[in-house]
Amino acid sequence: MRAKESAGIIGKLDFRSRSIRVLYGFIFIVLIVVSLACLLPPLWVLSSSLKDIKEFFAIPPTLIPHTLQFDKLWETWSQLNFTRLYANTLLMTVGMVAFSILFNGLMGYFFAVLKPAGHRFVFVLVLWTMLLPNTLGMVPIFKNIIDFPVLGVNLTNTFWPMWMMAGAHAFYVIVFKGFFEGIPQALIDAAKIDGGTRLAIFFRIVVPLSMPVMMAITIFTVNATWADFFWPYMVLKDKSMWTVIVAIFNLRTVVPLDIQFIALTFAIIPPALLFLFFQKYIMQGFTFSGIRG
Amino acid sequence: MDTPVSRTPVRFEAKPAKWKRWLLRDFPSWLLIVPSLLLFIVFHWQPLISGFVLSFFQTKGYNAVKFIGLQNYIDVVSNSVFQQTVVNTFLYVAWSLVIGFTVPIAVAVMINEMRRMQSFFKFAVYFPGMVPGIAGALLWTFMFDPGPGGLLNMLLAKLGLPMSEWLQNSSLTIPLIILTMTWRGFGGTAILYMASLQGVNHELYEAAAIDGAGIRQRIRHITIPQISSIIGILLILQIIGVFQVLYEPLTMTEGGPNNASMSLMLMSYHYAFRYFEAGRSLAVGVITFVLLAVMTALYFRLNRKSNTD
Repeated sequence: MRAKESAGIIGKLDFRSRSIRVLYGFIFIVLIVVSLACLLPPLWVLSSSLKDIKEFFAIPPTLIPHTLQFDKLWETWSQLNFTRLYANTLLMTVGMVAFSILFNGLMGYFFAVLKPAGHRFVFVLVLWTMLLPNTLGMVPIFKNIIDFPVLGVNLTNTFWPMWMMAGAHAFYVIVFKGFFEGIPQALIDAAKIDGGTRLAIFFRIVVPLSMPVMMAITIFTVNATWADFFWPYMVLKDKSMWTVIVAIFNLRTVVPLDIQFIALTFAIIPPALLFLFFQKYIMQGFTFSGIRG
Repeated sequence: MDTPVSRTPVRFEAKPAKWKRWLLRDFPSWLLIVPSLLLFIVFHWQPLISGFVLSFFQTKGYNAVKFIGLQNYIDVVSNSVFQQTVVNTFLYVAWSLVIGFTVPIAVAVMINEMRRMQSFFKFAVYFPGMVPGIAGALLWTFMFDPGPGGLLNMLLAKLGLPMSEWLQNSSLTIPLIILTMTWRGFGGTAILYMASLQGVNHELYEAAAIDGAGIRQRIRHITIPQISSIIGILLILQIIGVFQVLYEPLTMTEGGPNNASMSLMLMSYHYAFRYFEAGRSLAVGVITFVLLAVMTALYFRLNRKSNTD
């Protein structure tokens, strides 16, 4: 929070002018307003979930709750079986991280290090999956899930579809490829001379040298999985398999508003904590990950 | 699997036959990515092709029954809602350009100016991006509650203004959905712009200041040209992304009121999973795909032209 040398447009000398100082103050106020607009809605949900029912519906609403009802939180937790929902989400996340790192990582290794004849063609195909808009996927992917090709099994109400989709993520393949290309070829050659197999070189040399990128992809995947909605919603129809996000969406018409707020709180807190701990990682990662909205 | 790879200088065997060399050298490498390739086939490549093919078939459940040529397309386009849906989809894009495109640039430039609390501002604007999409959509649906108990209506009442229908008002619903999307997304985009702004050589500003250039001139002649390439990329990505908008209308309005927030992808979703008309759903998908391809091509065409001028 200390004052720092600005990298901005307004230079040090400009501050001698009164109108510039006014402008700076004005920008500061605008940014405070913007920050409040970003932070207040989630904070309102968090604080509302602590209020008793009377204060919850009070007009005008209070931001700092006067009443604290922690037992209501606990009641909602057990009533909606959040232990189960969290466990399901955790299981889905662990699988997605594993698939994501293993299969996308191996493909990145294939493109960056092994480079057998014909790898370029496959790389173009992978690149195209990322560039082409995915407006045709919904029906055929759903069809593949309810009647998996060759095996003929129905994968609804299992985590397999989400896990497998995590293993075919073109963007992560490209991130891994980019990172693995930076590993000195001499290290890999040395391991080859020592008789290391391709798989052994991957796990003993490439992976240990790639901890930063593994870490980044893990954090992305955890964050994305927590928010993942569409396919879990389509696939996990059985209540015992719901994830947190699927539950808050399916329950929105069934349970009263104050209980919904508590459920929403339970859905917001884990990613918020993740963000507090890994803020640098996530924001940096965003710079190399691209865009939404 | 334990064969030495091509680039290894230590290879003593005589030159074997070509297929044998392939078997020893390349085949094990290919073996490693068989599972990954299968996943890409099942979840990316096969769906794309079969989706396209299926759009020309009459379907039952999700299976093809009979080839019917363009009949699905004719049915979809002649549906009375279709025209409005196309207009809506372009409206989504237009509103996202009005709200979602300028806000992150302005916020990035402003945060970049701050000498204090810069990290707090970054944290604050990025924070909504960490709220899961559905949670964010539900949160705003509660705020936009059209009854007297809705948070924003309470605010209006306090200011002595009449209540609003919010998402139930057909002329407000698209801008409000875009507002929700922007609320979640703009922080991340602003961070991207900031990274690019940090790369602007500071001496340029100093030199311009000495030459007597005001703030506005510095923005116009230094800042904007320096970040224009990333502006271009983010612009096209935003257009492509918003054109395929699905989750927000699905969760906030289900296309209502009276199809006022229906988008092409939501229509495709409704055909597939509400009316179980897979063929028609895919016809909408193909139409969306083609529209996007045309727009992207047009963009690059214009971009190249303006670059060579």
